[in-house]
Amino acid sequence: MDGELKAIYDAILEGDMESVTEGVHASLDAGEAPGEILNTALISAMERVGNLFEEGEYFVPEMLVAARAMKAGLEILRPHLADSGVDPVGKVVIGTVKGDLHDIGKNLVGMMLEGAGFEIVDLGTDVTPDLFVAAIQEGADVVGLSALLTTTRPTMKNTIQAIEESGLRDQVKIIIGGAPVTADYARQIGADGYAPDASQAASLAKELIS
Amino acid sequence: MQISFTPEFAKRLRMDMELQGKQVHNPHGGGNTYELERSLGEDMLLTSVGWANSYYMDDKPYMDEWGIGWDVHPYETPFGTGHYTEIASHPLVNDAAIQGYQAPDPHRPELYTASEQMLHSFKDEYWIVGVTVTTIFETAWALRGLEQMMLDMVMDPDLANHLLDIPYTYHLAAAKKLVEMGVDMIWTGDDVGSQHQMMISPRMWRKYFKPRMATFISELKAINPNVKVAYHSDGNIMPIIPELIEIGLDVLNPIQPASMDPVEIKKQFGDKLSFWGSIDEQRTLPFGSPEDVANEVRQRLVTIGHDGGLILAPTHHVQLDTPLENFWAMVNAIANTLYKRYST
Repeated sequence: MDGELKAIYDAILEGDMESVTEGVHASLDAGEAPGEILNTALISAMERVGNLFEEGEYFVPEMLVAARAMKAGLEILRPHLADSGVDPVGKVVIGTVKGDLHDIGKNLVGMMLEGAGFEIVDLGTDVTPDLFVAAIQEGADVVGLSALLTTTRPTMKNTIQAIEESGLRDQVKIIIGGAPVTADYARQIGADGYAPDASQAASLAKELIS
Repeated sequence: MQISFTPEFAKRLRMDMELQGKQVHNPHGGGNTYELERSLGEDMLLTSVGWANSYYMDDKPYMDEWGIGWDVHPYETPFGTGHYTEIASHPLVNDAAIQGYQAPDPHRPELYTASEQMLHSFKDEYWIVGVTVTTIFETAWALRGLEQMMLDMVMDPDLANHLLDIPYTYHLAAAKKLVEMGVDMIWTGDDVGSQHQMMISPRMWRKYFKPRMATFISELKAINPNVKVAYHSDGNIMPIIPELIEIGLDVLNPIQPASMDPVEIKKQFGDKLSFWGSIDEQRTLPFGSPEDVANEVRQRLVTIGHDGGLILAPTHHVQLDTPLENFWAMVNAIANTLYKRYST
């Protein structure tokens, strides 16, 4: 990794948004390919953040700060990526299921997926099965369902049923996460996967579409 | 045994027990009444002063006295519709609002009237717990917003300290007053655990919360050396338990078994710490059979209660999705146990 990209990478790990912004501008000005900046600096840094999280070195606050810095860089990069024909690795629709308003877990998953190169459609919280179906109709590779409450856990099942009934089930991979769910529960309700945290959700999504 | 309820479960239970539901108090569950708790044969009664009382304040959107906005959100269960109150707006989300912010006054005498009455009525008969949970972090994140509060703790420690002191100062004053009034135990705490690991690093907990909690506990014990202190955090907080013991903690709550293994905690810390909770409100109570629930109670008695130091309780308010059969299986398994059977 050259000096400028390494500086961006380090600044993301430090959560230093300003240095990330400056670094991305400087790299673009120096003629670095946008795809190279994305992969070598941004995505690699977020992979490292994910590893540090799994190793118990980073926790939610450090992950949030890093993701925020990465996002600032990505916003600058985005139009350049489009111009140079660099496509996202896939499109993920995420949301907290109907009846549930909790979103920090879902937001972290969104940030880690974005940091892994995915395009994210975040439907927010309290999302009805119909809204998930409509979003899939617009095109999606993966759908991520989140719930915190035991009382909204059954809604994940209903949402997957609605996706099946719409005839779109074969077009997407469905992953679930949140406190009341497990890998077993994912299998029971016909999801394609479960991840216990945001970092592993990003790895899971990559695995499922490869 | 100690059990609290969400309002709708309490209503269902009162109908089942043919009770009237007089004098609702709020150790932040709403719908809890001493009538119900005493009829069940609970051993501890709770009285709460502080921000946690903002939960379940109304059945339509409201703003509490801290300026925090709340929405009321319905959910469906096989046993009917329930409502959770959920935080909808944070008064200190913008930096500009922080400097002039006035927290409520913890010294208003009317805050303590209900506690005084319950102490007068029940102190001789019950273990009385003064509740000041959501002591520092949870109230601060309700004021500021969770993500922003976490960003502040990483990037602006001075600001984070200022924000954390607002609820800390309030709840310390309230807890001291409750100890002076004669409660047997103070229930303090903040959620710093998530399902599988800590939400914040042990390092960050040491930086912001350990010193405040150490002062909190020592100030209470300076008023009454015999008062006990219980600490609540959901999720997995295994890494900080030794340090909670170090700063004078007596009782850990709620020992969420899906997150931390109660047997391991007993093994490591049972000689220095008592436990309150441990009956799984995330899996067994809502989704298990009555037999699963009774087995879990008996398992806890054998594994972590065999030499005392265990207050059995669900790990959260009993939720509306819990079948009554499961609830009674828990209560009966606790009540029908001959405790000397488990003594060593």
